[in-house]
Amino acid sequence: MKRLVLALIIAGFCGPAAAHAFLEKATPSAGANLRVAPAKIELSFSEALEPAFSGVTVTNTASRDMSTAPSVASGTQMSLSLGMLKPGRYSVRWHAVSVDAHRTDGHYDFTVLP
Amino acid sequence: MITRSLRLRAAALALIGVTSLVSQNATAHGVVGDRFFPATIASDDPFAADELALPTISLGNHEEDYEFEYSKTLLPHFSVSFEGGYVNARPPGEPHASGWDNLEITPTWQFVTDADSEFVASAEMGFEIGGSGSRAVTDMFTTYTPKFLFGKGFGDLTDSLVLLRPLAVTGVIGYAMPGASREPSTLQWSGAVEYSLLYLQNNVFNVGFSNVVAHLTPVVEFAMETPTGAGGGGTTGTINPGLLWSGQYTQLGIEAVVPVNRASGSNVGVLMQLHFYIDDLFPHTLGTPIFGGRN
Repeated sequence: MKRLVLALIIAGFCGPAAAHAFLEKATPSAGANLRVAPAKIELSFSEALEPAFSGVTVTNTASRDMSTAPSVASGTQMSLSLGMLKPGRYSVRWHAVSVDAHRTDGHYDFTVLP
Repeated sequence: MITRSLRLRAAALALIGVTSLVSQNATAHGVVGDRFFPATIASDDPFAADELALPTISLGNHEEDYEFEYSKTLLPHFSVSFEGGYVNARPPGEPHASGWDNLEITPTWQFVTDADSEFVASAEMGFEIGGSGSRAVTDMFTTYTPKFLFGKGFGDLTDSLVLLRPLAVTGVIGYAMPGASREPSTLQWSGAVEYSLLYLQNNVFNVGFSNVVAHLTPVVEFAMETPTGAGGGGTTGTINPGLLWSGQYTQLGIEAVVPVNRASGSNVGVLMQLHFYIDDLFPHTLGTPIFGGRN
């Protein structure tokens, strides 16, 4: 029994494969109030992403897409280039499929101050 | 040639479409939309998933329990769990008793998973198999327990309640029916209130927690039993405040076990669990449903 638990602990902490891709860092971050409009969104995840099935969008309060190009995912990073953002509130929605096909989603808002 | 090429392209597009649908519907342990529900310890969580709790250790009130629970998905959103353990009881004024607990087998059907409202519901039917454990510590009759389970995250609260969005609740209501007519049936009701620091950091505002701290979930669980037949006594149970830490592949949990009345115990105990997300540890083998593809 002890050996089984030990083996699982080692497998659990060393992690042989891939798991759910959880968001570890976002720039700009959730709830941020920015004096300078960001030129892009950068997201960092806990696991490598499947680019074809991962993406991020940024919309304004009128649900208008604010991106200038499709989002790009590579490794554990995902980014989206943005047009000139006017002062206001913006919503970021992302979905991430890790390389073992587990899916996670998230959304948050940030504000560009006048 | 053109027709064949078009057919191939149509087949490829159909495959991508099906794969994409499967991906969009994919859920695994505890993930519903933006919400991650950690596995609770004292009360069942409402997920049909591939997971292993080993060990769950309960100390206090003149008893020590060492338990395991393994849950395996047979189909997407349908699992069967196997639960058992070792009991070491020293009730005051009674002889010391120890031995293996009865094996409990529980099929779970997760029949609602709504990502937008962070809501999940499932139904279970527990079979505690009488006589499968040691005679000294277990019942010799089988107990049948149908249960309804749910989980709800509050990410859809309005902006004025934004700090409550990381809150989530889970609940279980079951009715335990012993296979022996002399024993009273019991209403079982349990649940958890949890506040996800990960949700706070990623979906509400960046508090600046480190990744280790952000994966903590303060939780208060409760687990109650109310006998419904004559002579069954009053309601007993515990309230368990604690902390759950969810990593990529494992979860650690520790809770205080506070009896709600004298009949439930006379002192505070401790509940600890090491939990493994089998669907993440072994995503291509043990971690997928036996039939029907990924959860």
